[in-house]
Amino acid sequence: MKKKVISLMMSAAMVATVLAGCGAQAAAPAPAAEVKEEAPAAEEAPAAEEAPAAEEAPAAEEATEDAGEPVTLKWAIWDESTTQYWGDIKAAYEAKNPNVTIEMVDLGSQDYMTVLATELSGSGSDFDVVTIKDVPGYATLVQKNAIIPLDDYISKDGIDLKKYAGATDQVVVDGKLYELPFRNDFWVLFYNKDVFDAAGVDYPTNDMTWDEYDALARKVTDTSFGSQVYGAHYHTWRSTVQLCAVLDGKHTILDGNYDFMKPYYEMVLNEEKDGVCRKYTDLKTEGLHYSAAFSGGDVAMLNMGSWFIATMMTNLASGEYDSSLCGNWGIVKYPHAEGVEPGSTLGTITGLSVTTACDTPDAAWDFVKWVSGEEGAAVMASSGNFPAIMTDEVKTAITNLEGFPTDDASKEALNVSNLYLEVPYGENVSEINSILDSYHGSIMTGEMSIDDGIAAMNKEISALK
Amino acid sequence: MRSAHRKAVLGKILVYILLLVIAIIMITPFLWMFSAAIKSDREVFKMNPFVFIPKVPKWSNYLDIWTRIPFAKFVENTVFLTVVVTILQLLTSSFAAYSFAKLRFRYRNGLFLAYIATIAMPWQVYMVPQFILMRRMGLNDKLLAIICLQAFSAFGVFLMKQFYESIPDDLCEAARIDGLSEYQIYRKIMLPLSKPALATLIIFTFVNTWNDYLGPLIYLKSQEKKTIQLGLKMFISQYSSDYGLIMAGSMLSLIPVLIVFLCFQNYFVEGVANTGLKG
Amino acid sequence: MGKMTGTSNIGQIDELQRALTETIERARVEQDDREKKKLILNIEKYNSRIDKLRSGRMISRQTRRDLIAYSFIAPNFIGFCVFTLIPIIFAFALAFMKWDGSNPVSFEGIDNFKRLWGDTFFKAAFKNTIIYCIGTVPLTMIASLALAIILNQKVFGRGIFRTLAFFPYVASLVAITSVWKLLFHPSKGPVNNILYTFFHVPQENLPQWFSGGLCVLSMILFSVWKYMGYYMVIYLAGLQGIPGELYEAAALDGAGTWNQFRYITWPQLSSTTFFVVVMLTINCFKIYDVAVMLAGGGSGELTVSATVLVYYIYQKAFIDWDLGYSSAVAMVLFVMVLLVTIIQFRGQAKKEA
Repeated sequence: MKKKVISLMMSAAMVATVLAGCGAQAAAPAPAAEVKEEAPAAEEAPAAEEAPAAEEAPAAEEATEDAGEPVTLKWAIWDESTTQYWGDIKAAYEAKNPNVTIEMVDLGSQDYMTVLATELSGSGSDFDVVTIKDVPGYATLVQKNAIIPLDDYISKDGIDLKKYAGATDQVVVDGKLYELPFRNDFWVLFYNKDVFDAAGVDYPTNDMTWDEYDALARKVTDTSFGSQVYGAHYHTWRSTVQLCAVLDGKHTILDGNYDFMKPYYEMVLNEEKDGVCRKYTDLKTEGLHYSAAFSGGDVAMLNMGSWFIATMMTNLASGEYDSSLCGNWGIVKYPHAEGVEPGSTLGTITGLSVTTACDTPDAAWDFVKWVSGEEGAAVMASSGNFPAIMTDEVKTAITNLEGFPTDDASKEALNVSNLYLEVPYGENVSEINSILDSYHGSIMTGEMSIDDGIAAMNKEISALK
Repeated sequence: MRSAHRKAVLGKILVYILLLVIAIIMITPFLWMFSAAIKSDREVFKMNPFVFIPKVPKWSNYLDIWTRIPFAKFVENTVFLTVVVTILQLLTSSFAAYSFAKLRFRYRNGLFLAYIATIAMPWQVYMVPQFILMRRMGLNDKLLAIICLQAFSAFGVFLMKQFYESIPDDLCEAARIDGLSEYQIYRKIMLPLSKPALATLIIFTFVNTWNDYLGPLIYLKSQEKKTIQLGLKMFISQYSSDYGLIMAGSMLSLIPVLIVFLCFQNYFVEGVANTGLKG
Repeated sequence: MGKMTGTSNIGQIDELQRALTETIERARVEQDDREKKKLILNIEKYNSRIDKLRSGRMISRQTRRDLIAYSFIAPNFIGFCVFTLIPIIFAFALAFMKWDGSNPVSFEGIDNFKRLWGDTFFKAAFKNTIIYCIGTVPLTMIASLALAIILNQKVFGRGIFRTLAFFPYVASLVAITSVWKLLFHPSKGPVNNILYTFFHVPQENLPQWFSGGLCVLSMILFSVWKYMGYYMVIYLAGLQGIPGELYEAAALDGAGTWNQFRYITWPQLSSTTFFVVVMLTINCFKIYDVAVMLAGGGSGELTVSATVLVYYIYQKAFIDWDLGYSSAVAMVLFVMVLLVTIIQFRGQAKKEA
């Protein structure tokens, strides 16, 4: 009987080997696709190279491009129903390019990058254009050869990267750029004017140090039971605490030594202890969303990305948020470290990439170019979102929108002097991200003291290298 | 004699008190769920005074959930998956189990050993290679993937085999002498006899497939393919403060499993007893 | 044609027949069980060969029987083979490779396993999983046995109570964990509210059920609550298999409830207990969803105090795309389960011997 089992195992193992073999073969075209970057002077080169991976006849696409025959681009996005601009972009682009159909596939915002990486692993994906939500996810896709470098297209079409104000420099991988940003959010401080009025405290200003901000938060806080008012609110993301620390321009999140975060952890944990902000453990248990916290009317200040501006405007207009609780809101610039000029803040870029599996890369590139260019920027701004190209017109367009706070400070808050990406590209950025996330949780829940948590971060991250 | 009687009565009372305590522990979370589902966000955490049913019950939560997320689509997917998986599981495993229990053939023990060995193997150990394989077969983000994943479990074969072995061989022999083919014996004799075991398997498979989370999480990505469990989880992270809605969705997700359980529970203990699951 | 071969083989058949009779004779007198089995196998072989020659058919009766049997197994086995057996073998191989799911695979030897030693997160996950198992297995076993014994007596509303006890098992995890989080909410939940109001636990000392050291405890409590109904049913089935005469005899001898349990119920249930413990251990090692849903919060990330092996497997595979390393962690999980199962099998065998 033993023999039989062994023979069974053997045959199964053989099948597995064959399958693994298939895997290696299918993966092979990917590196080839990378090599091609060196040579192609002619624009046809990428398309021709793509063909073996995509297993389709290349000639057909070449013709489509020129003849204006119908092309369908499959585009990965998230939260189609709650986000207006996806549809706006699709409509505007299709109106301009009648031969192109944009097919949006909603992968949901939760775990978007994980889902996308799964989709694009190996061969067999049919996405043409993918939206890149964060840098760690971007790094994963680049390492997997799932998206193609855009440098040749950029130089061919003469696109000036300066208009992205340095954002693209921070996502260059080995001298190549794999995405173009179309949205660039930066962090500001949202505040609820009614709460400040009720407490008789002056509004926050565009020029506050962290100490002044902390003092203000404490001043407006009311800890009496039943009518609690929280001076500040920090969402459970590590960005809300850790990234305050990199704004001095001296440190980055990839440093490997995180001692500089200590004062900010102390500030937030002390605020938590004194009832100035909601407890991290409560937020974690409830999974409370920052929008729910701020729209509830008992939070005075919230540090959050500029995407929340559009959310506030839409939801107040639709009546989703109670305007008697949070209708009277404003924004100011992010607080800054002592001795640093105001207006330094964090940026989060959202980009578009063309997949390796795409069999019409020229058409896909045209779409990417359009969305991240001036015309796309206008579409984004029309719904109150911040395009990657920030011009004065775009700013005016947004500040003139119905529902944008009317005070001058809020308008002024949109002027950013220094923008640091939440996470710039770097080696092991995905692992670093996981480690920082984990110890952020440990420190905030009190499992570890601040010193121990930071020491653990330093240790784990230096071990990666 | 009298003291013995008294002792018995005391014992009975003790048993009932215990039962009551257990029942309360078991049922409280469900009652809480029911109560929170008809409350507004502010009422959910109101403790003093605590009210079970608010003055103005918010029944609208049960309606809102259908419009806030594509709940109907999730229900449709989940029902489809659960029904198909349960039917496939019942058919294929009772079929295979009949062969293992009542037929003698070459490699029988070897094959059965392969089944048993995988029962002790946690799914998570091979979920990654399995995922890679399925993706190669083009099953990523297809409902079919979950069907393939759930429908051929070793557990079903094991359970049915144990049950068939408790049916005397003479029955089959007599049928064979009467000229019935093996297929006819399976269909006309074995299947009707195995109702309790089938009911047990239905409950296990239905509950597992309906409530599965990690499987759909890995395989089903696009919005229109998600199941109720994924939908609920998504809903919880998106509308974190709408407790009423979350609880209403949770209540709704419980109903089908409860119905299935109540329908088949009469056979259930009997089924477990006869399948030798007890060891 | 068939007839022709039939007649020309008569001599051969006779020869086989003689060998067969001889073997049967030997089998009759053979004492050793092993030898006897071998002889019986031989008899079958002779029989099938004679059968084949006589009928002149290409397929013997045995082969036909095999084919029928395989036709029964095939639908399940093909699916089982493709979707379970092959991935398992694949998983073993992957543990010695480096692969990100896209680029070519490279062989790593035991490097993946070496890495485990220095991995803080792995060690934390390993520790938490073990603690969780040590807490959950005995507690669930005791609770479900007690429940089964109570519900096996003739009490009023027995059916209802049984159904109630089974409720948590059928309820979906996502739904039921969200209620648990409401009930055990650190500052607003009723449990802490009761602790605060009636037991006067100061506000800053109220337990933080889903973080820090209490996290694993919450997971254990929840699992016991959710799964005891399931194991209760298995125990109920076991209890029903104990002959009633045993208890009658014991009662006549004046044995009390405790002694009845100790000398009848417990030993009679030993094989049920064995099954329950093995299943429980396997299921406990697999813990993932409970941890993520109770301690994960909105984003589902687990800190060092809550992370478990399967979560780490998932994270390494689907977020960091380190498939080889993830498989290596999975192998550790597999070896743990295997070890525990073998130890329990040994113990059981000793008891029965």
